[in-house]
Amino acid sequence: QDRKVSGKVTDQKGDAMPGVNVASKGTTRGTSTNAEGMFELSGLSDDATLVFSFIGYKPVEISVGSKSALDVVMDEENQNLNEVVVVGYGTQKKGDITGAVVKYKNESLDEAPVARIDQALQGKIAGVQIQNTSSEAGSDPKIRIRGVGSVNAGANPLVVVDGHPVADGLAFVNTADVESVEVLKDAASAAIYGSRGASGVILITTKSGKSEKTKYNVKYSQGVKSAYSRYDILSTSAYVERLFDEAAIRATDPAITAANNTVISADRAAYILEKEIIGGETDWQSQALRTANVRNVQLNVSGGTRDTRYYISGGYQNDQGIMYHSEYEKFNVQTKLNMNLGKRVKLNINLSPSFIKRERPGIEFNDFARWRSFHPVYLNETSAAFVRQNPLYADVQAGDYAQARYFANRTYSGLMPDGSTWSSGTSVVDPFATSNQQPKSVLESRNYATNDYRVLSSGDLTINLLPGLDFKTLASAYVNVTNGLDYTKRNSARAGDVNRGVYNNNLFVDLLSENTLNYTRDFNKHSFGVLAGYTAQVTTISQARTTGLDYPSDNITTLNTALSIDRENTYTTKNKIGLLSYLGRVNYSYSGKYLLAASFRVDGSSYFAPGNKWGYFPSASVGWIVSEESFMKSVNWLTTLKLRGSYGVTGNNRIVDFAFVDLLYNANYPLGAGTGTVASGQVPSKEILSNANITWERTFQYNGGLDVALFRNAVSFALDVYQSQTDQLLLRQATQAFTGVPQTWNNIGSLQNRGIEFELTTNNVRRSNFEWRTSANISRNTNKILALGSESQLLNQGERTELYLNQVGGPLVQFMGYKTDGVWLSQNQIAESKLTSALSNVFVPGGLKLVDINNDGKLDINDRTVIGNPYPDFIWGLTNNFKVKGFDLSFMLQGSQGGQVINGDPNYNEIKRTNANFNTTDKWLSPLNPGNGKTPYYTSGFNWMLTDYVVEDASYQSLREVIVGYTLPKQLLKRMRMGSVRFYANAQNLLFLTAKGYRGLNPEAASSSGVYNTPLVDGYQRGSYPINKSFRLGVDVSF
Amino acid sequence: CEKVIDLYPQSNLNTGTYYSTVDEVRAGLTGAYNGMQAPLATEWQLTELRSDNSKQGVPASSSSTNRDLSDLDMFLPATIHTGIYTYWLTTYNNIRNANIVLQRLGVVYDPSAGTLSLQNIDIAISDTDRKQLAGEALFIRSHHYFNLVRLFGGVFLVHTPISAQEAKSINRSSPVDMYKLIEADLKTATTYLSPAKFAQITGANIGRANQWAAKALLGKVYLTLNRKAEAATLLQDVVSNSGYGLQASYASVFSISNEMNSEILFTVRHKAGGLGLGSSFGNSFAALNSGSTIINGSGQGLNTPTTDLNALFNANPKDARKATNIATFGTGTAARLYVPKYLSPVVLSNDGESDWPVIRFADVLLLLAEAQGFTPESIALINLVRARAGLTALPSTVNSVATFEQALAEERRLELAFENHRFFDLLRYNTTLTTIKAVDVLKDHFAAEYASHYAQYPAPILTLPQLQANVTADKLLLPIPQREIDTNPSLTIAQNTGY
Repeated sequence: QDRKVSGKVTDQKGDAMPGVNVASKGTTRGTSTNAEGMFELSGLSDDATLVFSFIGYKPVEISVGSKSALDVVMDEENQNLNEVVVVGYGTQKKGDITGAVVKYKNESLDEAPVARIDQALQGKIAGVQIQNTSSEAGSDPKIRIRGVGSVNAGANPLVVVDGHPVADGLAFVNTADVESVEVLKDAASAAIYGSRGASGVILITTKSGKSEKTKYNVKYSQGVKSAYSRYDILSTSAYVERLFDEAAIRATDPAITAANNTVISADRAAYILEKEIIGGETDWQSQALRTANVRNVQLNVSGGTRDTRYYISGGYQNDQGIMYHSEYEKFNVQTKLNMNLGKRVKLNINLSPSFIKRERPGIEFNDFARWRSFHPVYLNETSAAFVRQNPLYADVQAGDYAQARYFANRTYSGLMPDGSTWSSGTSVVDPFATSNQQPKSVLESRNYATNDYRVLSSGDLTINLLPGLDFKTLASAYVNVTNGLDYTKRNSARAGDVNRGVYNNNLFVDLLSENTLNYTRDFNKHSFGVLAGYTAQVTTISQARTTGLDYPSDNITTLNTALSIDRENTYTTKNKIGLLSYLGRVNYSYSGKYLLAASFRVDGSSYFAPGNKWGYFPSASVGWIVSEESFMKSVNWLTTLKLRGSYGVTGNNRIVDFAFVDLLYNANYPLGAGTGTVASGQVPSKEILSNANITWERTFQYNGGLDVALFRNAVSFALDVYQSQTDQLLLRQATQAFTGVPQTWNNIGSLQNRGIEFELTTNNVRRSNFEWRTSANISRNTNKILALGSESQLLNQGERTELYLNQVGGPLVQFMGYKTDGVWLSQNQIAESKLTSALSNVFVPGGLKLVDINNDGKLDINDRTVIGNPYPDFIWGLTNNFKVKGFDLSFMLQGSQGGQVINGDPNYNEIKRTNANFNTTDKWLSPLNPGNGKTPYYTSGFNWMLTDYVVEDASYQSLREVIVGYTLPKQLLKRMRMGSVRFYANAQNLLFLTAKGYRGLNPEAASSSGVYNTPLVDGYQRGSYPINKSFRLGVDVSF
Repeated sequence: CEKVIDLYPQSNLNTGTYYSTVDEVRAGLTGAYNGMQAPLATEWQLTELRSDNSKQGVPASSSSTNRDLSDLDMFLPATIHTGIYTYWLTTYNNIRNANIVLQRLGVVYDPSAGTLSLQNIDIAISDTDRKQLAGEALFIRSHHYFNLVRLFGGVFLVHTPISAQEAKSINRSSPVDMYKLIEADLKTATTYLSPAKFAQITGANIGRANQWAAKALLGKVYLTLNRKAEAATLLQDVVSNSGYGLQASYASVFSISNEMNSEILFTVRHKAGGLGLGSSFGNSFAALNSGSTIINGSGQGLNTPTTDLNALFNANPKDARKATNIATFGTGTAARLYVPKYLSPVVLSNDGESDWPVIRFADVLLLLAEAQGFTPESIALINLVRARAGLTALPSTVNSVATFEQALAEERRLELAFENHRFFDLLRYNTTLTTIKAVDVLKDHFAAEYASHYAQYPAPILTLPQLQANVTADKLLLPIPQREIDTNPSLTIAQNTGY
């Protein structure tokens, strides 16, 4: 009971290993080696077993027996080379990989304070930009791998879940069920996915059971979410007080005429309403936002024998958005069976149904921020009495929603901020001229919910035909049934609006058959792997919409009670898309040092016209593991050094279905006597012209990489550089509107992406009771248009007439507009400038002063120039993990540097007036009071949206996530008969720093819809939701 | 295997296979009738609003819709103005629809000769059918181009469906070339289209363009070109031989229970009932902040009558036309003007029944008077219109060219208010009349409305002289949408002077 043991721990090269953890198994006794690798441990029992462990090395267990001296040699685990990585249609050892593939193991992804796996990956992988464009619960983030590889509408990466390419895979995969995420970044590794690989590939592998005793795992977490920041909105009275103060200042300046220095009666009346009639201010943002609850429950059972293994899980997640009526609920089940049917046959079955229920608010946050504060949400006794004075509204009651019209068309009189009394006399005033209902009543009168029922089910059978030769056949089906009801109550958006229920039923069926032959053979120092395959995928998309109108009661919303059907919005559509592919790959390695791989894929697609259907996508790559060379063995500090190089061709076919023909749409017309009888009419699409010659977009990419591990994996890093060129860009191109259609499909030009990615992991401290690991990544991507067919540039108008330039030699998208140089201070300054212009509202004192770029003395369209671009200079993430005894802490900083946005908020004049970010106190008031000379008077002058005044820096740095955990000690658990118990707390966006001059709420936000939703129009935002800040607590138990 | 990828659309017909039988071409033509609705949604902004008939309703409004309207109203439109672009796009979209029909029917325009000819086609179709369908499409095309040339000057002359690439080599044509096409189209239409008189038009032919509509439109084109004699001949033909005539009451012309009445030579039809064919004007024009008092789904108070026009109606209390054209919401000092002309009860917002007349008999009568000039016959024509409105004949003080012209212009203004004629009339008077100049009328209009409207804008307010200085002969034309110029880097496309 009192044995003493001492000894030395060395590595394979004979070097002493300090800091190795030495523990007596099953007891609390332990120590670690000193600087010379020596240890000494006493108080051991006779049957003691010592466990030696060190990160990056295989643990060693030795029973002490009668020994008192014990020398131990530890082997490197070499996880850098032996880890299995999932690649297209198979797996490879990390050491054999020659492309740019990143594996992200799910260690704490499912503890990230977000609802979806793509959000959890933000900032964690170099070269993968994940952008939360909306804070709505359950919304899809925007994902770009190595920049924008394509110009058409589909620059999203291909997502493959357990071998099945699923367009919306990231939306339904349950983070807790994910084993690992692999990202195929370069063309060589993505080329095996051919026509869909150009924007990169994300492979999701879900968990499987292991041959072990049945293990149960329960996880639960709960927390709250709220807005990180809000707009600073002036109340009506503060705004009107400011107007009066300004008017007083302006009055002292002779350049301002009395006519131009009045506070309009609408604002005066609004002031009286807020101060005297309503007697309070409404914070409309609070009417939209809430502290939301989030909850996540996960259960799973796994285990099995050598021949049958299973993994069964169930999960429930409830994620409320910070805006009312924004909610996301997810139920997941996963059943996975892996069986050996005899010696030569393996069968895998995977069934994962999920149900997602999502509710979306029926009105944008912006509509709240724009509503004026004098306007109450509900009427009280006093305000109702006031409203009833107008005979039109004689029957409104206290408790009814207040509406703008209740205060319109009335006379007002009362006290003004300057103490004077004002009366509108006999003329009537509209304090708030709008025909819209107020936002809270709109929000509450619309229910916009969708249900997604998805099943991904697959079975595959692998037959070992000959030694080394396997045939695998996989059949899989992905079915997504979406049904939703968008129900709007009576009087929702406008008074007298009829109630309306839109029923959507969509069915998406994707069938995949995949057949591959796989041959591997090693002889002498040669190692071969050959893959050949054939796949066919058919997708059927059926949509049905039925719109019922005029329901007798808002309480019964089923169609049977609807009085009529909205014929225009009642239809079904159906389309089928097919993809036929042949693929092959060869891997060869010599002596485990020299690596060679080549792949080829041929895709045939129904997206293109006969003659253009087939595309060919080859790739080749090489690798050299330098550290395995004998001459490197003596370099002790170098653990791994690997060089990689690759070249590949990938494609992109994601355009609308059948862009090669002009589709016809109904355009009926009433003819005949009376009110007419509807005759059937057909016209081609009003939105886009077809192009019969449309064909594949192809991306050619070079990648060079370096994998290095130093000092027994204490430091490891990967560096990749790449250059790609995309040709025959599938372009949704603006056409001249006199063709009759504003856009057309085209294949023109080429685009280059270049970048560098760096990922670093350091094990700063690895002691038995204290570990500190840092991982960091940073990447930079630049793109450049190399050609645009016969043209040198394209211009695209955004939804607020702001302009986007696509110019040869420049980045894909640049903002185009007028440069400004502060504001015109006075009429004199305008006269002195001697500039002329035919543009509207250019020469107004207090308005933006446009710069005459070409110095021709004339302000015209030739003075428009590049005023920014949406692309960050670099994006980065930095994660630190600490472990002290049972405690752990990890925090991730993440950011983006250098991109810009066009802030569309000032398009709304309401925002110009009451948002303190735009209506600042240092704005121009008069020639004598020019403020800072930079800020325009908000009603004056040139349209801001066409100038650099709305271009803002979108850089940010965030404390994206923090996770703190405590794992109960093993001894205690043993007594409790538990496997493991862990408590944790996590937080998201505790800190979010935006650039100076950014006036919005979320620099990542992007909003463009309809015809503006194209990669050629990028970086525009308006009325974004605030960023979420969240905090939650969780527990994780397994037994 | 190839079956997997050898797929065609299952939910939509496509131009590759369609338009190969008479019925299919007819469906294409029906689509072109439908396509006449879209430009109307913005046409009033470019015509009534820029005339002295209407203004945007809320001077203090900060909404971008109202600000955009103000820019048009005050002759300050930017070259990127959304309303202008929307009108342009929807008009050209329907020109494309008409061109597809004409192409399938083998109707070919020779721009240098200014003539149309018929080519061989492989569609089995009778000559009568072919000409009838072609005539209707020609009418639709010329209607659009006539509007474009008056609003924008020489535009892009597209007479066949073109690809995006072909468009790159097309520059603007001169107004002369535009009118050459319009004249050729309408002349051909008058010979192709059925000569059936009003009472003989039955069944599904009701609502289609016919010979009389084409003649009336061509008459107006000639008058616009100051070819008064040719105009008078055509218009007189319509007045005497078409079988069309005035309704007994003004209100019944626009009644939804009396559609396609004897006064309607051509109208853009709408149909309520959730068919996607309803009219939006009931909601757009009803008073702002009116809740459901006037129409379900509230009004937006756009296209608000000017006080000047209201006063003109009020000058003669017997004028039966007032009630159809101007109504008030609220009473006393809260009374607010709006246009009830296109108001019909709706279940769904913007889904009204009211049609939008393009050419009606009263218009033809007055055009004929204008073409004839100051003659007793012309006075009689005006008096016909006045009598129907419940007014007495013109007084004897109308005894000179100047007084006649004033009386004629005033009669047209009242009779055809809010039917998008006034602005075009003012432009035409520059040449057809001697005493009325568009620019002067518009300047007077600004003066008349200044205190009650333009002085009520938030600062900075334009002074009256500044406002009036905006109205120049150049600015009577709209700018070519900037997008058309920006989208073609290979040609230099001239913008209209003044923009």
